[in-house]
Amino acid sequence: MEFAWSQSHLDYRKRVSGFLEKELPADWFETLQKGIATKEQAEFSRDFCPKLADAGLLTPQWPKEYGGEDGEAWEQFILAEEVWRWGEPRGPQYMGVNWIGPTLMRFGTEEQKDIHLKGIASGKLVWSQGFSEPQAGTDLGAMQTKAEWNGQGYTVNGMKLWTSYSEWADWIFLLARTGPERKQISVFLVDMKTPGIQVVPFPGLPEYGHLNEVYFDNVHIPASALLGEEHKGWDIMAFTLNFERVGLPRYIWGLRTLDIAVEQLKAEGRFDDPICRAAAGRIVARFEAATVLTYAVVDERINDIQGTVTPNVQRITAAQACLDLMSFMMDYVPDCLTGGNNFLELFYRGQVASTIAAGAYEIQLDAIAQRGLGMPRGR
Amino acid sequence: MQFQLDENQAAVLAGVQAILQHHQDVPGAHRRGWSYYSMELDEALSRNGYLDIGRTEGMGGVESALVVLEAAKAPVSVEIGASVLVAPHLSATEIPRPICLISGDLMKAQRYLPVARTAIIDTGDDVLVLPVDPANVEAVESIFAYPFGRFKTRPDLAGAQRLGKAAVAPLRQWARVALACEVAGAMRAAIDFTVDYTKQRKMFGSTLAAYQAVHHRLAECHLIAEGVRALALKAAWSGDESEAAWAATYAQMNIQKVLFDTHQFNGGMGVTNEHKLHFWTYRFRALQAEVGGQSGAALDTADLRWGPPGAGAIDRAAVRGAA
Repeated sequence: MEFAWSQSHLDYRKRVSGFLEKELPADWFETLQKGIATKEQAEFSRDFCPKLADAGLLTPQWPKEYGGEDGEAWEQFILAEEVWRWGEPRGPQYMGVNWIGPTLMRFGTEEQKDIHLKGIASGKLVWSQGFSEPQAGTDLGAMQTKAEWNGQGYTVNGMKLWTSYSEWADWIFLLARTGPERKQISVFLVDMKTPGIQVVPFPGLPEYGHLNEVYFDNVHIPASALLGEEHKGWDIMAFTLNFERVGLPRYIWGLRTLDIAVEQLKAEGRFDDPICRAAAGRIVARFEAATVLTYAVVDERINDIQGTVTPNVQRITAAQACLDLMSFMMDYVPDCLTGGNNFLELFYRGQVASTIAAGAYEIQLDAIAQRGLGMPRGR
Repeated sequence: MQFQLDENQAAVLAGVQAILQHHQDVPGAHRRGWSYYSMELDEALSRNGYLDIGRTEGMGGVESALVVLEAAKAPVSVEIGASVLVAPHLSATEIPRPICLISGDLMKAQRYLPVARTAIIDTGDDVLVLPVDPANVEAVESIFAYPFGRFKTRPDLAGAQRLGKAAVAPLRQWARVALACEVAGAMRAAIDFTVDYTKQRKMFGSTLAAYQAVHHRLAECHLIAEGVRALALKAAWSGDESEAAWAATYAQMNIQKVLFDTHQFNGGMGVTNEHKLHFWTYRFRALQAEVGGQSGAALDTADLRWGPPGAGAIDRAAVRGAA
């Protein structure tokens, strides 16, 4: 056990941070403040991500045959940490790069890999995810959206929500029911231009662009849109969610946000209050715990250690840190939600559902209790 | 970065565990007491070189932290944090142990004072190394699961070795690493003990472990113990002042939660001395206020990240009390 970064990792971090400092435009933070899933962000990422791709910094951990650099998992996380230091200028590309791509490599046909992996690796295509429904969030088995075999392909009917970036997306990674039994679901790769698909944004506590409803009204998709085997979507999702759960280095953005809140408090002469300072110190400790636990997850992945609850432990630790930071903001800088500080509002609204997304807080705790502590299934 | 133990570290851990397996219970005569200081364990660890590990060539902070963390899982107590993690960073020469760390009011009851040969005293602007005269110490009964005692009369500090102001920061830093290791180990043992109990104890026709309300809270305890362990080991490895403050902050701010939940799920049995739980929980409870407590660690975290407060801020040394 040792926690030092190797020289090659330090060099890699320098390469990434140097690129971002040089290539991000001067008005990047103005774009960021318009909101994470906005049209402006999506358009920015279409312009910026190809530059990252050209520099070999979009999919470095992917195999060379798919447009990557055969990089190791640590490089992926160093890259993620550095882009999150700037508020994630990759925008929606985190989905394609972090988990849709690896899922396609594992389960896709050669044709699917050929079409989609090149697209993701180019940085030009935007993907969205079609998982949740009004009655099926964490309990994905309750989904209603159906994909029925029509002799040539599938006909999709139903509705998805919580489909970040779908208004601007080229493709959607869609989960749909293909049989009457609970686990008979399948994954489809669907072109968002297919007739019958309608995106309806609507407002909510998260920022604009996350909560879109996507309606599927007799949408005909080819058989080649099916990813993996029919009815085996559950297995694919288990693989996919494992990537999604540890995909975001929330601690980087959280600590950056806390620094921004402290800057404001200092400027207003309010950061000498020891109660406020101690509260801020405790949040640092929570984020640092989340950081080292995230590194533990990466280490397990590199060493092919499977089936542990470290990803769940890391996710809850990060979520608790985010919740404490949001509460701190409401104690000391509540004006951030009334136009006083767009950066802080960005974090607040971005994390408002962090205990729900990618497997609710309680599901993570169940996993820790059952698989980590050996307790029986709860009732 | 590598989270798996290397060969050396694995050997150290296995060696300590081999010794500890003979100390998994409190001897019968002390079984219903508040605490039990195990001279047998102390001697066994000493004989096998584990208490000198902080001064052993080839051994680093991680090895030292692993020893402290593992020993803290035993229901018996043994002074190890100060000896293994603190003293080697203060003095090139060996300091007679067991060691009692003192900050705040010198005349209040102190952890380990009844067994200590040396007291290391944080006066705020100096660190004193004081030989302890056993005749000047009286034991203090307490529900904390450590031996506590106080000086009968104020000791003469003129005879103490003075390490100087430069030793204050390292003392606090390494005392924080040591307390985080001890909290991590004792929390782990208390949680495992509680999980086992919930699997056996039935209520309304089911074991306690089958209730989701129990699952969720013990799962939260588990992630706290994992977080404290990871931060403690990293702080021991890095020797970084900020990392020590993070580890202590995270450990101390979460003590109440783990103590409450582990006791809650041991029910009425958990508050009797017939049960073993208090041998762990009232050790980490005793650490809640050490080295400035969670507020002190959190304030130091803030100072180290954002700079010290302005001139009008409260004098924390005055609040803490001088030795």
